[in-house]
Amino acid sequence: MLEVTTDWYLTLAAILFSIGFFGMMIRKNALIMFMCIELMLNAVNLTFIAASKHFGQIDGQIAVFFVLVVAAAEVVVGLAIIVSIFRKQSSASVDVLNVSRG
Amino acid sequence: MLPIFLPLLTAIFLFLNKKIFNELVTNFFTLNSALLSFAISFFAFVTFALDKFKPISITLYQWTRTPDITIGFTLDGLSGVMLLLVTGLSFVIQLFSTSYMEKDEKHSNYFVYFNFFVFSMLLLVMSSNFLVMFFGWELVGLSSYLLISFWSQKPAAAKAGNKAFVINRIGDFGFLIGLMIVLNTFNTFDFYTVMQNSTNVSENTITTISLFLLLGAFGKSAQFPLFSWLPDAMEGPTPASALIHAATMVTAGVFMLVRISPMLQHSVTASIVIISFGLLTALIAAFSAMNQYDIKKVLAYSTISQLGFMFIAIGAGAYVAAIFHLVTHAFFKALLFLGAGAVIHSMHHEQDMRKMGGLRKRMPITAGMMGIGTLAISGIPPLAGFWSKDEILASVFAKAGMANELVFSIMYYLFWSLTLGAALLTAFYMGRHWLLIFEKDNGIDHSEVQEAPKAMTRPLILLGIFSIFIGFINTPFFHGLEKVLHETLENVEVTHLPEGIALVVLAVLSIGAGFTGLIIAFLIFGFELHKRINLEKFKLESPINLVKDLSSNVLYLNKFGNVFFVSGMKNFSRKVAVIVDGLIIDGSVNFISSAFGKTSRVTSATQTGLVRNYVVYFGLFLILLISLFIFTPLVAQ
Repeated sequence: MLEVTTDWYLTLAAILFSIGFFGMMIRKNALIMFMCIELMLNAVNLTFIAASKHFGQIDGQIAVFFVLVVAAAEVVVGLAIIVSIFRKQSSASVDVLNVSRG
Repeated sequence: MLPIFLPLLTAIFLFLNKKIFNELVTNFFTLNSALLSFAISFFAFVTFALDKFKPISITLYQWTRTPDITIGFTLDGLSGVMLLLVTGLSFVIQLFSTSYMEKDEKHSNYFVYFNFFVFSMLLLVMSSNFLVMFFGWELVGLSSYLLISFWSQKPAAAKAGNKAFVINRIGDFGFLIGLMIVLNTFNTFDFYTVMQNSTNVSENTITTISLFLLLGAFGKSAQFPLFSWLPDAMEGPTPASALIHAATMVTAGVFMLVRISPMLQHSVTASIVIISFGLLTALIAAFSAMNQYDIKKVLAYSTISQLGFMFIAIGAGAYVAAIFHLVTHAFFKALLFLGAGAVIHSMHHEQDMRKMGGLRKRMPITAGMMGIGTLAISGIPPLAGFWSKDEILASVFAKAGMANELVFSIMYYLFWSLTLGAALLTAFYMGRHWLLIFEKDNGIDHSEVQEAPKAMTRPLILLGIFSIFIGFINTPFFHGLEKVLHETLENVEVTHLPEGIALVVLAVLSIGAGFTGLIIAFLIFGFELHKRINLEKFKLESPINLVKDLSSNVLYLNKFGNVFFVSGMKNFSRKVAVIVDGLIIDGSVNFISSAFGKTSRVTSATQTGLVRNYVVYFGLFLILLISLFIFTPLVAQ
């Protein structure tokens, strides 16, 4: 019987983070990119909890609550922005939004 | 105090009200202020004289303590004499100006500038330290510029003003450097302290300071090689020339050298430089005056020449004689200039002496007074010029006797004989000047010419009387001026006159030089000797023409200066403009701006505006950051 150690959780978190990060880099749909950000946030949360369990300290789990709250607030603002972008140009692609090009 | 600032207040007052006041009101204010200024100065001087000539100093404001810089004034023998001279002459000349400048459209401006000049000059002479003197020095230059180019619609006047200003600037540059060395050496600007401490300083330092200050004096007092501005300055109104370019401003250099004489006497080099340049100036200017036809230019060269005499006196250590000649010269030269002004006025602004002649019967008072001036400057006793010029000549002779080494002795005897020659030339060109204007018949009808108005002749008569009697303030029998200056020149070794028979012989020689000059002038221009004898028999035609040519072109010194300095400087500055300005300054500025442009073009290419690219950068830097965290401790260990 294999024992599920802290390493496993950390590895899973790293894989999730990488998926999120590469998703950010290659996708241009704003909604998908948003989901990728959530994925990365949750990967970090998983790391926090694993570390908290490993060291037997509550601090990590408290940090996770903060992250969740901030993420929820971020989703509210972010989705509102995406909706207004969609209304304006009838697509959620971010490549069109290059007004800040140097 | 008050006499110094009264002219300034008058200038400001007239300037503010120049649209309201008509000529009469302006004249009223300026004359009364000048008279009041003179009256106060006179009483101040009397009080000072009754107090046994003890210097009075006022400190207005202490700027810094170390170095000790104050704004202050002092009344001692030297500044007292100058105070009386400046305020007195300014009143007389303003009286003359009211008539001369009548109906000029810039009448009120003229008096504003005039009062401003008097203020600057008083600031210069009354200062108790180098700094205030420098203020006065510069302001005098400015107001003289304003007065020279007063009729600025004439291109020649505007140009002359510029020339005077630029040449004075060369001198002021030296003066300023001298001041910096003074401050560095003595840690103060105060005359008294500097003079007291000058014995503790090495002769080399004294020589350096003196030579730099001397450059300033050369510029202001129009000495060789910085003299060419003064003849050009004659473009200004004649009364202004009388005050500025004859009586007061140009003597500022002489005044300053006497002021620093306790220091100057320690430097043999500086004294020899002063005497040789003074002599050179006296000779060149006297030579140049011989063939001028402009009534004012003759007087201008004569002024330069007489200033040369004052410098000779300073170089010979005869500081009292220098101030004495300054005072007498101020009176008779102001007289001559105002006389010339009266002639110009009556001739309706004609300045060419060839178109005058025979004016004596038409303008008897002017002719008589200018005759007195001519005799005075030629050194005919008992008029003023004789006493002072004779004192200078005798002092140079005495200096020769005092010299330790034979070489110096011979040198001073040579100086003396050349000075005597310059005195002879002076008498000659002044005699020519008078004869050409008043005596020689040119066949031109002058029956319409009238005597100048009373406002002009009265100052002339006043100055004429002074020109006769002012010489008695310091004669071998009565050392009045020497007593007044005693306190100022307390620790100075003044060259004294020779005694007894030698003095009489010297006096006879100097009178002889004066008479000889006048007689030669009379023979040529009055008696017209050269027409009565056949010159060609002596084959003198070509040497005389050569002398005439050299004289009317001032030995071609102006042309020399133009070729060597002006065009040289122009070429140099053109090269500087191309190399320094074009390549170095413009180049560096352009390089910096283009470098910024190029780098920003490169970096702005990274700002694609695509979110994905930014994420990539973000990721790359994240990796970099993590690698730093991981590897840094290892490296540190």
